[in-house]
Amino acid sequence: MSNKEPTYTEAFEELQQIVAEIEEGQISVDELSEKVKRAAVLINICKAKLTSTEQDVNRILKDLDQTAGELPADERSL
Amino acid sequence: MPEMVDGKRIFTLSEVTGSIQKALAARYSSSFWVKAEMNKLNHYPHSGHCYPDLVEKSEGRVVAQLKATLWRDDYLRINREFVKVLHAPLKDGITMLFCARISFDPVHGLALRIIDIDPVFSLGELEREKQESVTRLQEEGIFGRNKTVAFPLLPQRIAVISVETSKGYADFQKVIQQNPWGYKFFHVLFPSLLQGDRAVESIRYQLARIRKVAAHFDVVAIIRGGGGEVGLSCFNNYTLARDIALFPLPVITGIGHATNETVVELVAWRNAITPTELADFLLQRFHAFAQPVQRAEEVIAATAIKMLGETRETLRHTVRYFRSVTRHALLDNHHAVNRCSDDLVRQSGLLLSRARQSHTASYVRLSSASAMRCTAARTDLRSLDVMMRKDITAFLRSEKSVIDGVARTINHLHPVNVLRRGYALARINGKIVTSTADITVGATLRTEFADGAVESTVTAIETKPKDEAAREGREGE
Repeated sequence: MSNKEPTYTEAFEELQQIVAEIEEGQISVDELSEKVKRAAVLINICKAKLTSTEQDVNRILKDLDQTAGELPADERSL
Repeated sequence: MPEMVDGKRIFTLSEVTGSIQKALAARYSSSFWVKAEMNKLNHYPHSGHCYPDLVEKSEGRVVAQLKATLWRDDYLRINREFVKVLHAPLKDGITMLFCARISFDPVHGLALRIIDIDPVFSLGELEREKQESVTRLQEEGIFGRNKTVAFPLLPQRIAVISVETSKGYADFQKVIQQNPWGYKFFHVLFPSLLQGDRAVESIRYQLARIRKVAAHFDVVAIIRGGGGEVGLSCFNNYTLARDIALFPLPVITGIGHATNETVVELVAWRNAITPTELADFLLQRFHAFAQPVQRAEEVIAATAIKMLGETRETLRHTVRYFRSVTRHALLDNHHAVNRCSDDLVRQSGLLLSRARQSHTASYVRLSSASAMRCTAARTDLRSLDVMMRKDITAFLRSEKSVIDGVARTINHLHPVNVLRRGYALARINGKIVTSTADITVGATLRTEFADGAVESTVTAIETKPKDEAAREGREGE
């Protein structure tokens, strides 16, 4: 378990892993508390991802402008 | 007949059209086969007649255009053939080989009257461009390339290629923005033409732009809608299909038509029939992510509660069992210790008395044996004493007689006694003389006797021969 915030893909996969372990009865009561805590963190990451985006249109447009000069002049007017 | 006005010969319009009609009828008396693309069928359901727009294109540009007529009975017959051969009715945008005759109507103008259409040719033409694109992409090994691009778990950031005012784009936006689950999408429109001659380059241009900012997006969606069935051939274009096949992001399409899939749709990661369906597909992906998360929440909570309950119950049982077991074990041990203690006392008493008996017997045996041994030793000592006394007396007596004999001999040999028996001692200068050789004439010779001594001077020496002297010596013994 790394210290940095997992990506939602990592969070999703780790969550599935925990569910699988729990369903297969691989988790002991000793580990349960830690796993449940971890699962709660992962669930929050996944749910947050579903209902929010951090994209910034202006940044994308800026990136596009930086490369626009490489395109033919007639196509830029499109 | 034409009238003359100011020297000009003036025709009426009908005279002109009549003349054209006559000339064309004379020139084009028979029917002939023509190859052309039918841009639009223009079927009028009320009359049942069709007025197709025919075009010829070269490198994407229209180089010839002509109207045509297809009368109701011909249309019905030909359409039946098309359905039979192409499994589709006569429709817009196909290249066809047809038998026609030039017709000129004074009111409707020049047209090709279509008598028959070869459905087999149309089938081939329609498929040819498409098939060529497909084959080329397959030969280059890139036909299925876009489908191998990993599809993101959540296709949340969408680069949309569409027409801003199109119904398809509006439908798409409505579905993803108003979804009742609160799923959040982010999309940027890259406006492009989606039909007609310039669609290919327009879409490719926007793909190139998206490629530059691909890191900001999860998927590319090509959305068209409301344009009907016309102008789809651009989506069979090889270069466009190639760009899509090789695109680094998954490309999904919602082009909105009912005919066979175009090449672009075939190579796309996913083709949805309509923009709405495309939006639904994205929502389904979100569901596919959200549902396991929801389920994880439920399963983990339920399992945790169940596990804790079971563990608590097990613990309670164990404690109860432990208590009863330990109580029994303690009792058992207590009894066992008592038994051992009793045994120990009894056994040790037994062992002690046995040892005591054995000791007493040994003591009796030892004292009688030692008394006997003392008596025997005392007897032996006494007899040895007697024997020793006897032996010592005898030994002393015999030793005394030997000593007495020796004493007598020694007494006889004493010089005084020898001198009394007539022997004398001769000395010169204090030294005893035993041979004439030691004496010289004139020497003072001292002669000692038992009762004194005399000194005399030697006047003569007689020396006996040696053997006689020896003999006399032996006789004197």
